Amino acid sequence: MWLAELLGGGVVLVLGAAVVVLSRQLPYHAEYGPGPGFLPFWLGLGLIACAVVVLGDVFVRRSEHEGAFFHRGIRRVTLSLASLIVIILLVPFLGLAIGLGFYTAFLMRVLGRHGWLLCGVVGVLTVFGIRWIFGSWLQLPLPTGILGW
Amino acid sequence: MDLLQNLYTGFSLALSPTNLLFAAIGVIYGTITGALPGIGSATAVALLLPLTFTMNPTTALIMLAGIYYGVAYGGTITAVLINVPGDSSTVMTTLDGYQMALQGRAGPALSIAAIGSFIAGTISTILLMGLAPPLARFALRFGPPEYFALVLLAFSLLTAFEGRQPVKIVISTLLGLLIATIGLDVVSGLPRFTFGVPQLLGGISFITVIIGLFGIGEVLSSVEQEMRLDFLRQRFRLRDVFPTWADWVASRWPILRSTIVGFLVGILPGAGATTASFLAYLSEKRLAKHPERFGRGAIEGVASPESANNAASIGAFAPLLALGIPGSATTAVLLAGFMIWGIRPGPMLFQRNADLVWALIASMYIGNLMLVLLNIFFIPGFVAVLRIPYTILMPLIVVFSTMGAFTVNNDLFDVWLMIGFGVLGYLMKKLEYPVAPMVLALVLGPMAENSLRQALIISGGSLSIFFTRPISAVLLGIAFLAYLYPALRWVVRGFRLRVATAANLSSARR
Repeated sequence: MWLAELLGGGVVLVLGAAVVVLSRQLPYHAEYGPGPGFLPFWLGLGLIACAVVVLGDVFVRRSEHEGAFFHRGIRRVTLSLASLIVIILLVPFLGLAIGLGFYTAFLMRVLGRHGWLLCGVVGVLTVFGIRWIFGSWLQLPLPTGILGW
Repeated sequence: MDLLQNLYTGFSLALSPTNLLFAAIGVIYGTITGALPGIGSATAVALLLPLTFTMNPTTALIMLAGIYYGVAYGGTITAVLINVPGDSSTVMTTLDGYQMALQGRAGPALSIAAIGSFIAGTISTILLMGLAPPLARFALRFGPPEYFALVLLAFSLLTAFEGRQPVKIVISTLLGLLIATIGLDVVSGLPRFTFGVPQLLGGISFITVIIGLFGIGEVLSSVEQEMRLDFLRQRFRLRDVFPTWADWVASRWPILRSTIVGFLVGILPGAGATTASFLAYLSEKRLAKHPERFGRGAIEGVASPESANNAASIGAFAPLLALGIPGSATTAVLLAGFMIWGIRPGPMLFQRNADLVWALIASMYIGNLMLVLLNIFFIPGFVAVLRIPYTILMPLIVVFSTMGAFTVNNDLFDVWLMIGFGVLGYLMKKLEYPVAPMVLALVLGPMAENSLRQALIISGGSLSIFFTRPISAVLLGIAFLAYLYPALRWVVRGFRLRVATAANLSSARR
């Protein structure tokens, strides 16, 4: 947890510094008052100041930041996230509705160990539900795949 | 007379079949999602917001408001039956509600919560009717310095009320403001932080961010905890559900007192329903003749926080409607909805969109009535829905989130952004950086920046404009004190600790 807190503070510090540098490339003053770089510059400085306080606290009270950051459930988190990323990457081939149907069935099977039949039925209902709500009712142009769905 | 005339107009709109149907959908969906641990009111509203893009704004707002106060009712079910608060505003309810359930009195606990919420909701709606229009008239005096001061006050109150780790609250606020600056600057037309990505020129949609932070972020957190809902097996015969006369006598004054506490806390930006229920519970415990009963199944311990959280949910509409300033993450999501429908909440709302405002207020009476009936007569139905395993609900929430993000611009780019903000929300939760200030800052960011720049243009660059105008000076003064409050609390706690240690040492020497 200590390392994670340290990294978190570090990321805020680097982000603040980057914002200050990038905002210097924008005009600080405009013809009639503050320019587009005005607010980001001060936000960046604010982030740097807060990050210093967080990092100081992490170093001074190290014992209060003990404990593991990742728990056993991290495998489930990674699986849920990675499968969503893969499905979105596959949208040009599967289409959005079918892709999300696969996602639902896959996660139900892997995380919940539900039966194949239930996973399949919920997956198919998801595909039809998406097509009906977003495709027919809201008339959104959903990305389709090789099956034309 | 104007008030009654407006209310009549509101009821005639709210009672139309379409609006009644969507109010019912809102409160039922709100009750179910409120009962699911990990899905708060902000997530519940954000998930359905994309579906309202093409709807009539009045109907959409009635449905979303129904979800908002329905969540507070629903959170009670899991708080009482499995000792897990469905929503953070029902944390205090678990203390006595679960004890009552263990004593076989889950029915009276749930019904007194519903009755208390109904009374609180009705009284708060009357208070809202009385307060919001004069507040809006007062806000007509506001110029850019006052609006900037008001936004700063909202941010500062979050720091004061959220309690732990105020620096992380400030970081979250600054990140929200920073995300709001992405895209074309409205004054100069120059792109900011777009890095040549054309989709970023229009800025990052707050809907995408909200769905990512709350929808995906909360799902990832819940998946990690491997959530199981193990309900106490209780029979819900109708005659066992109603509270006894003694229960009612014990609860009636706590309900009324907590309504006032809840409403007053609710209208403060940054405080919200969770703080309201906490304060109401503590004050009832302090006022009780037998405070030792609290935590052991006292019915006042259920009635009080439940009344307060519903009163606060309704109270939060006062600053949103009259000033255009949301006080919580959920009202920030509702403000985002207003913007999408092309309506600007604030002082002029009561003049330009009076029908919408009064239909919303009238729908609150109707919605609360629906909820009290649902939560007394249909508890077994809700419990049955909640028995659906989380491993089925979770992928469906992700599916709805993904579709919601896609709907914003019909572009998968928003889905990628949603995933990014989902991971950010998950990590922020693990590192105890609150996400609500980020959402509030993101929604209020453009108003904050525009007000600041306009004020400085008026004053020729002098900051004195913020301190020489009385309303702005008072608001900034309160904001300053609110930012100082955590530091003062830390100093006072340290001083007390030193005094107590010194007293212990001297008594040990003797």
